[in-house]
Amino acid sequence: MMSSDPASHEPMDDLDWEILDGVRELFGGADPMPADLPERIRFSLAMRDLEAEVARLVEAEQQHMAGARGAERSRTITFDSDSLTIMIRIDANSDGTVRIDGWLAPAQRREIEMQAITDTLRVSSDDQGRFAFPSVPAGTVRLVILAVEHGRDGAGRSVVTPALVL
Amino acid sequence: MNECGSIAARPGRPDRGERIACLMKAARDGDDDALGQIVPELSPVLWHVARAAGLSSGDAEDVLQTVWASLVAHLGGIRDPAALTSWLVVTTRREAWRVREAGRRQLPADDEWLTTVPDPGPGSEDLVIRDEQRQALWAAVRQLSPRCQELIRIVAFIPRPDYQAVAAELGMPTGSIGPTRGRCLAKLRALLAN
Repeated sequence: MMSSDPASHEPMDDLDWEILDGVRELFGGADPMPADLPERIRFSLAMRDLEAEVARLVEAEQQHMAGARGAERSRTITFDSDSLTIMIRIDANSDGTVRIDGWLAPAQRREIEMQAITDTLRVSSDDQGRFAFPSVPAGTVRLVILAVEHGRDGAGRSVVTPALVL
Repeated sequence: MNECGSIAARPGRPDRGERIACLMKAARDGDDDALGQIVPELSPVLWHVARAAGLSSGDAEDVLQTVWASLVAHLGGIRDPAALTSWLVVTTRREAWRVREAGRRQLPADDEWLTTVPDPGPGSEDLVIRDEQRQALWAAVRQLSPRCQELIRIVAFIPRPDYQAVAAELGMPTGSIGPTRGRCLAKLRALLAN
C-alpha cells in the first residue's frame, strides 16, 4: 500500500510549504481565532487562584432599550458555580466607564472584587445579595467573590468568574 | 518580569525558539506571566485544532482556556519549544474530542459534520476568494478525506521549526533528514496538479 504512493515519503519541498501557506490563509480568513482570545487566556493565567471555585458563564444577553436619550445598550450575564449564582448587568456610563449592578443567589453579604490587570475595586453585597460598581474602566476584568472566613458546609469558598471584556 | 522579551527585540536572528525556551524556563521558575507571553504565539494553531475537530466557537474557546490552564501543571516535563507545541496540539485535540463526544447526542447522527471543513458561518460571504489559485486550493482541500482535511488544517498552522515534531506526534511519517510530505499533503498536491 505504501509503495502505491511514493510521493508521500519524499521530503517536503518549497511547493509543499507554499501549499501549506495557502491553506493557512484560507482557514485563517474563513474562520479566524477571535482576536481578543489570547488576551483573555493570558488574563486568566495571570489571575489564577487554585483554591477558588470557577464560575461558568451560563447566559449572556444584549438588550437594546429605547430610553428618553435614545437607544441604550445593556448586557446581562449570569455565572454559575457550585455554591453561587452571580448575575450582573453592565450599562455604559456617559464618560466611557461602565456601571455594574449585580446580584448573588442565594442572597448573602460578601466582599466582592472587580480585578483588572492594573487595579482592583472592592465592594460588599447587602443582605439581599445586591452589589454595584458605579464606575469601572473599560478593559478586561473578572469578578471575585471573596472567601468567607468560616464557611459552613463547604459554602463560602472564593468564586471567580472568567475574564470579561467590558 | 523576565528578560525573554529582549531576545525577540534583536532583529535578524532565528530567535523564536530561543525566546520561547526562555519563557518556558521563566514559567517553571515561577514567573506568572511568562506562559501568558507564549499564549498569543501558539493559540492560533490550537484554535484551528479545536475547530477542525468540529467544535463550536464557544466550545473551542473553552477548550483553549482549559488546555492553557492545565499546561501549568505539566510544564516540568516538557523539554523544548517543539515539545511544547506538540503537547499543546495533542492535548487540545484530545480535549476537543472529549467535548465533542459529550455533546454528540444533540448533533446529527451522521459523521460528516465531524471533520469536514466547517461552514465559516456568518460573514463567510466576505470571504471572497479572489483568484483562481485560491479557489482551486479550496476545491482541492474539500476533496480530501475528512481526516486529511483536519490534518492539513492543523499542520498548516504549526510554526515551521516545530513542524517535524508535531507532524510525527500526529502520526504523519517523517524522514531521517526532515519532514516528509505525508499522505494527505501528497494527495492535496496531486489534486492541485490536475
